[in-house]
Amino acid sequence: MSLLALLGVLSSMIYSGTSLLYATIGEVVGQRAGIVNLGVEGVLLISAATGYGVTVTTGNPFIGVLAAILAGGLINLLFGFLVISRKANQLASGLAVMFFGVGLSALIGKPFVGQKINSLPRYMLPGLDDLPLRISSLFRFDLLIYLVIPITILVWWLLFRTKWGLGLRAVGENAETAFASGRNPNLVKFQALFVGGLLTGLGAAHLTLAFTMNWAEYMTGGRGFIAIALVIFAKWHPIRAIVGVLLFSGAVAFQLLLQVSGVRISPFILDMVPFILTLVVLVIWGGSSKHAAPATLGRVYQGTE
Amino acid sequence: MKNIKRMLVIFLVAVFVLSACTPTATPTAADVAPVQPTDVPVQPTDVPAAVESPATEVVEEAPEEEGTCLVVGATYGGPINDAGYNLSMHEAVAAIKENIPCVEIIEAENVYDEAGAASTMENMISQGANMIFATAYAHQNPAFELSKKYPDVIFEHAGGWMMSGNFANIFGKPPDLWYMKGVAAGMMTETNKLGFVAAFPLAWTNVFVNAYTLGAQSVNPDVEVIVAYTFGWGDSAKEADTTNSLINQNVDVITMHVDSPQTVLSTAESRGVYSIGYQNLAAQQFAPEYWITGSGFTLGGKFTWLASTVIDKTWTPIFLRCGFEDGCMKLAPFGPAVPQAVIDKVAEVQAGLEAGDLLAFAGPIYDQDGVLRIAEGEVLTDDAMSTVDWLVKGVIGSPK
Amino acid sequence: MTQRADLLPKQSLTQNKFVQIIVRYGLMVILAFLLFAIILLITGNDPIISYRDLFKATFGSAYGFSEVITGMIPILLTALAVGLPARIGLINVGGEGQLYMGGICATFAALAFQDLPAILLLPLMIILGILGGAFWAFIAAYLRTRGLANETITTLLLNMIAPKIAGLLVFGFWHSPLETNMTPNFVSAARLPTLFNSRVHLGLLFGLVLLAVFWFVMKRTRWGLEMRTIGGNAQAARRNGIPISKYMIIVFCISGGIAGLAGMAQVSGYYGLLIPNFSPGWGYMGFLISWMSFGDPIGILIMSFVVSIILTGGNMLQITIGLPYAVINLLLAFTLFVVLAKPVLPKLRKGKSS
Repeated sequence: MSLLALLGVLSSMIYSGTSLLYATIGEVVGQRAGIVNLGVEGVLLISAATGYGVTVTTGNPFIGVLAAILAGGLINLLFGFLVISRKANQLASGLAVMFFGVGLSALIGKPFVGQKINSLPRYMLPGLDDLPLRISSLFRFDLLIYLVIPITILVWWLLFRTKWGLGLRAVGENAETAFASGRNPNLVKFQALFVGGLLTGLGAAHLTLAFTMNWAEYMTGGRGFIAIALVIFAKWHPIRAIVGVLLFSGAVAFQLLLQVSGVRISPFILDMVPFILTLVVLVIWGGSSKHAAPATLGRVYQGTE
Repeated sequence: MKNIKRMLVIFLVAVFVLSACTPTATPTAADVAPVQPTDVPVQPTDVPAAVESPATEVVEEAPEEEGTCLVVGATYGGPINDAGYNLSMHEAVAAIKENIPCVEIIEAENVYDEAGAASTMENMISQGANMIFATAYAHQNPAFELSKKYPDVIFEHAGGWMMSGNFANIFGKPPDLWYMKGVAAGMMTETNKLGFVAAFPLAWTNVFVNAYTLGAQSVNPDVEVIVAYTFGWGDSAKEADTTNSLINQNVDVITMHVDSPQTVLSTAESRGVYSIGYQNLAAQQFAPEYWITGSGFTLGGKFTWLASTVIDKTWTPIFLRCGFEDGCMKLAPFGPAVPQAVIDKVAEVQAGLEAGDLLAFAGPIYDQDGVLRIAEGEVLTDDAMSTVDWLVKGVIGSPK
Repeated sequence: MTQRADLLPKQSLTQNKFVQIIVRYGLMVILAFLLFAIILLITGNDPIISYRDLFKATFGSAYGFSEVITGMIPILLTALAVGLPARIGLINVGGEGQLYMGGICATFAALAFQDLPAILLLPLMIILGILGGAFWAFIAAYLRTRGLANETITTLLLNMIAPKIAGLLVFGFWHSPLETNMTPNFVSAARLPTLFNSRVHLGLLFGLVLLAVFWFVMKRTRWGLEMRTIGGNAQAARRNGIPISKYMIIVFCISGGIAGLAGMAQVSGYYGLLIPNFSPGWGYMGFLISWMSFGDPIGILIMSFVVSIILTGGNMLQITIGLPYAVINLLLAFTLFVVLAKPVLPKLRKGKSS
């Protein structure tokens, strides 16, 4: 394994992991308030199509990013209407949002398939200019990548160091008690979903405008579901989510590395590795995840314990 | 309250029932004419000599009730403006109408799976289609089953191998062009490593990889081709990841067999690596600087000819494979970075292939494990290409 | 909990539960269609004509109607697969993966035992299909009962792994000599018979039988009653000496088995071969149907029928109005939204039926 290949894995992890991380912490915020959104996939798709469309129309990717962020927040509010105002089952509503997202994004994105865009500009990581182009081009990152860790820390800070975050978590643990202590649980949940949607939209923006630089139907390919899995993996903690995302996207990058370095393992098996790895690590390492969950989280944790 | 609800229900049901009962006029041309939402922007195609018909224009040219000579239904496995395979097929189908104005076209895109394909095609037949072009590889089985059920409808599948009394096959001859592209790549590479992003290890894909490799090896015996799979025809994120992985292995020329070359080309361009396109000549716009060449399907002429034989009732099932010598495929223009020596060599190879002196798949050809697959003096025939599940020596990557 | 029929007061038609269900669902579906009509209007299409086309495609011909029934088969089965564990509060989102494993195992039998007569081969495929799905569910259930991992995440991950296993097997080992991406056509002994000249296959019978069994077990047996107890109050169940862990695993495995049966039915009855990505989300649709019906057997039947109409008719819409096929997901989603947003009509809320 050459240095380039290993650095390549690192770069790939960062590139494909960024959108995943945004979506994951977006879901963390929502789940901390007690709401599980299985429809992250749909939110990602709508945000991506919107962001892409706006970028094509205006020619400015930054406006596209804003559009994607906003779209994500709005769709999550729609979801919130279902599960908070109408008290609908969260899992079913989430899947409904997923189907909705697949359909709506196809409609929004249709005129823009195959159009080229000005993608988000990329900036070299400082201090690497002297390296040969092949290596340094690995580390030309766009703005959203540079922002992902700071924003994750910001979310952590919001959740664990502010009154708003405290209230949010209180609502997620026990809405009645939170209500008794003067908070409005429904309002807090809506806020949580909105913020979560904004973050998810950010992830979608990175996916289309910086990483793949195109739009195609169902281009997220399951990322939303992986984000949900990683939330549980991270025990609902934004900082731990970084580890989960790195693990998963690292596995994806690594299996690609194996494929291209001539290892004669079936590419199908290699393709499965990241999922199996996540499952195995979850089982070994995340055993007590049940108790870390916000107590009122969806109906998923109802049952015997 | 309940009464009001009940009345509302009855009212709404009545509305729907009544609307369903309106005497249905025979579907007018406006109903079943090739329909695109009217705000689809015209595709910018600055490619010379490619058959173009921007989608919107087809809508506006609905035939003037003179009598339709033929209704053609076409199914696509992806979006028709993907700057790739589906766009090529769409252009070919649209060419039929350009050349024979009395033809009506019904199209359905994004028909991903077999189940959808079967009912879509059957719907088209119920709308009057006499001829079906199933352009996606995955549509072969459902189309074949339907052909048994509708012996009066003519089915043409693109890229398969099945044949029957009313079912035939048409495709370009990509392998020759892949060979030529391999020659160009073999000469342009400085690291002697070429990369190939593929969707699935289909037989066609294996054939392309092999042709590409053989072409490159003919000018540069030390060259290696690395192939990696994305397991999706349009999974852009995977395509970007895979392209980067290949580049990180010191590959300096990238090519692909996925539906749309857009992501792979953009990614290669952003890393400063050469790229070679496929599927459609419009792909060059995505890699303005490092583009070497590409190839695309230009089957409009052949599709038109097939449609005309159906109209004249002279159609017979033919396993049609036409290459660039018949105008069915084209090599794309060369990019700005390509030196004249490469252009000349490719032209030389092209002439040889055209004349039949040079054959892409002439034996002896060994596979990755050293097994002799094509003996000396033998050639891989067109219909045997769908059985290829091996890769030639010099390719890194596993097709199973 | 039986009641003597002669002691029940006579009910007027409007109070009849069956009628209420139909009216309720009818209202919701109509509302969903109205919402979708807005989308049609926005994109410049005439909703009346579009819906007319949709209904013509589904009800206007025997063929169309048979396609609706054919489309109903897999989602009816997967909905039943989800409805069962829902009764004890277990969520099985893994129907998709279990369906794939069922299809894979059935394919194995179809390819390995080609010389067997249908009377032996089909039951063998059925058994293997059920076992395949049950096994896939068992993994998640086992991890859950051992407190090792939550079943939502494990089933989601397993859903994503199963199609890849199908790909591995097809491309690597089972593919036909003529094509690398699908198995050879199954021998006729391995194919579920179809009815008349349509694509409706015997899987429908599986679905209807299971539906009847489901209804009977839930409403008329002691075991069904126990399950409702667990669903309502876990503590009470434990106090009554019902072993929870064992129940959960068994119920989950049966659920997976039903989904696996759906996979077998589609591979054998509908396709007649195995291709890597043969399910367009049937597992997830089944989940939604089950929840839209609040686990009620009649509701499941109705909603799977309605969903199939939407999906089948949607194909026609694609041709006639030129919107991407994926847009039909919007109609599906609106139907879901409408149902989910109205958990009113108190008589029919979950847990209070009968």
